[in-house]
Amino acid sequence: MDPLQRIACTWCGAQSPAGATSCVTCGAPLDVKNLVSDSGWREAPRLRDMSELKFGASTCQVEGEIVPVAEITLGGTDSIFFEHHVLLWKDDTVRMDVMPLQGGIKRALAGMPFVVSIASGQGRVAFSRDAAGELVMLPLHPGMEMDVREHAFLLCSHTVNYSYTRIAGLRNILFGGQGMFMDRFIAQNAPGLLVLHGYGNVFERRLAAGESIILEPGAFLYKDASVTMNVETQKLTTGFFGGVGMNLARMTGPGRLGIQSMYHHHHTE
Amino acid sequence: MPQKSDSRAYRCPWCGHGSDAGGTSCPRCGAPVDVRLATTDSGWAELPPIRDMARIQFGQSFCQIEGKYVPVADFNLSAGDGVYFTHHLLLWKDEQVQISNMPLAKGWKRLFAGLPLIMTEAKGPGRIAFSKDAAGELIALPLDAGQSVDVREHVFMIATNQVTYDWFQSGIWFTTQNGKDTETHYPIGMFMDRFTAAGSAPGLLLLHGNGNVFVRNLQPGQSIVIKPTALLFKDPTVSMNLHLEYPGKMYGTFQPWGRWSSRYVWLHLRGPGRVAVQSHFEKMEDPGFNIRNSEPMTTTRQW
Repeated sequence: MDPLQRIACTWCGAQSPAGATSCVTCGAPLDVKNLVSDSGWREAPRLRDMSELKFGASTCQVEGEIVPVAEITLGGTDSIFFEHHVLLWKDDTVRMDVMPLQGGIKRALAGMPFVVSIASGQGRVAFSRDAAGELVMLPLHPGMEMDVREHAFLLCSHTVNYSYTRIAGLRNILFGGQGMFMDRFIAQNAPGLLVLHGYGNVFERRLAAGESIILEPGAFLYKDASVTMNVETQKLTTGFFGGVGMNLARMTGPGRLGIQSMYHHHHTE
Repeated sequence: MPQKSDSRAYRCPWCGHGSDAGGTSCPRCGAPVDVRLATTDSGWAELPPIRDMARIQFGQSFCQIEGKYVPVADFNLSAGDGVYFTHHLLLWKDEQVQISNMPLAKGWKRLFAGLPLIMTEAKGPGRIAFSKDAAGELIALPLDAGQSVDVREHVFMIATNQVTYDWFQSGIWFTTQNGKDTETHYPIGMFMDRFTAAGSAPGLLLLHGNGNVFVRNLQPGQSIVIKPTALLFKDPTVSMNLHLEYPGKMYGTFQPWGRWSSRYVWLHLRGPGRVAVQSHFEKMEDPGFNIRNSEPMTTTRQW
């Protein structure tokens, strides 16, 4: 087999050696056709049980298909950060630290994770979430910025900068299904890996500049920082019996947008 | 990897039972025949998913597993065979199947500990089916005569009547104090169930794991720390203790909400024996406040 031959991953665009059955960067199966709905949503690749991918000197193995586990083998000086409650098990040797976060009081008041933990050192550590769904592997290249629904991120490599972005507009805060803040992940000088957990199935589409689509706010999972979100209220009237207002999020490109099929519904007005 | 030198010498990689490999699944635990036992790099073996419509035999009766996401255990009980179960798991039954209460000792203790107070028995002949209210996997644990297994509370679904049921204090606890109030916490529950194939006949135990289920065999002295609510079952030879871990670098030396704000409460398990975890664990709400007292074998690590 020609060692220079490469297969491009349709999910993340990375190149893997010819003969590989899954992408070395994001774990997506390479021998399965990209599934795109007639309306243009691309289904996030269902990672094969026991798929392995690499980031830095570390590896991530995905185990199980109902509530998948991300098992990390830390290598070199690599570390990962994650929310406190998603740890499933770990080796004794894996060191635990807490990441200093800016805006701690704001984060605590907004219901965002106040304690973000760091695992480092040689050893293995595994993570999972509290619902059936899919793991979404998002390799980040230098310069990429991703906004993620709060509490949706499972883990992230230490090379990625973690902060938060305040959601503009009272209507967006009250009815956008996000609260006041979204997580923001920025790959500055080095590539990194961001692993999300989506409830149910996950779909992605790339919006062109100015193109927009309307979402149930609870279905939003992630977006490029260039995609804007605005909540609009749709009035539903029933003649003599009055009506209700349905709040929907208008997402406008350019950029990627990810949604989850098992969403958290937000009440109408 | 399963051994399959000839059709009579097939040994199930999951339960170790020898059978005729002409079928599609192990007649004793339902694991697909020829399945390569998927093992993670770290040594966890993934529970082989029981094939839809697989049949498991016990005594003169059968259990058929139906569905994939919330599997149903559909029993076809012969006359004289029976099963017992927690009553809220019953999905449907034939009219002819006899249902009765199974007497349980220490009812008051069970009531206070949040354990099911009523265990129900079903006797054949006839069909009866069970399922649970969460996506996950059914675990079929065949027990050889004299073999026991320890199961975390509320994980048990059904056992055949060759299996005896008992429980014991988990011994995993800690106390916190808030003013004059002292509260005791049990991360894996106050009690654990113990099931034993007590007589000369083997028995079958069915458990339900939320999400995916992983099992590993710890060597003597080998240990691992797991989230307490992820534990499903363990061999009685596996010892356990509470393990508290405090991460480092909490804003330098300043810890605004005290040591509890970032601590991990772990279950430390030490071999030899099998240990199983589920990937969808119940979220553990840390009670807050500093820990005043804990079980005598507790270990602590400050990073």
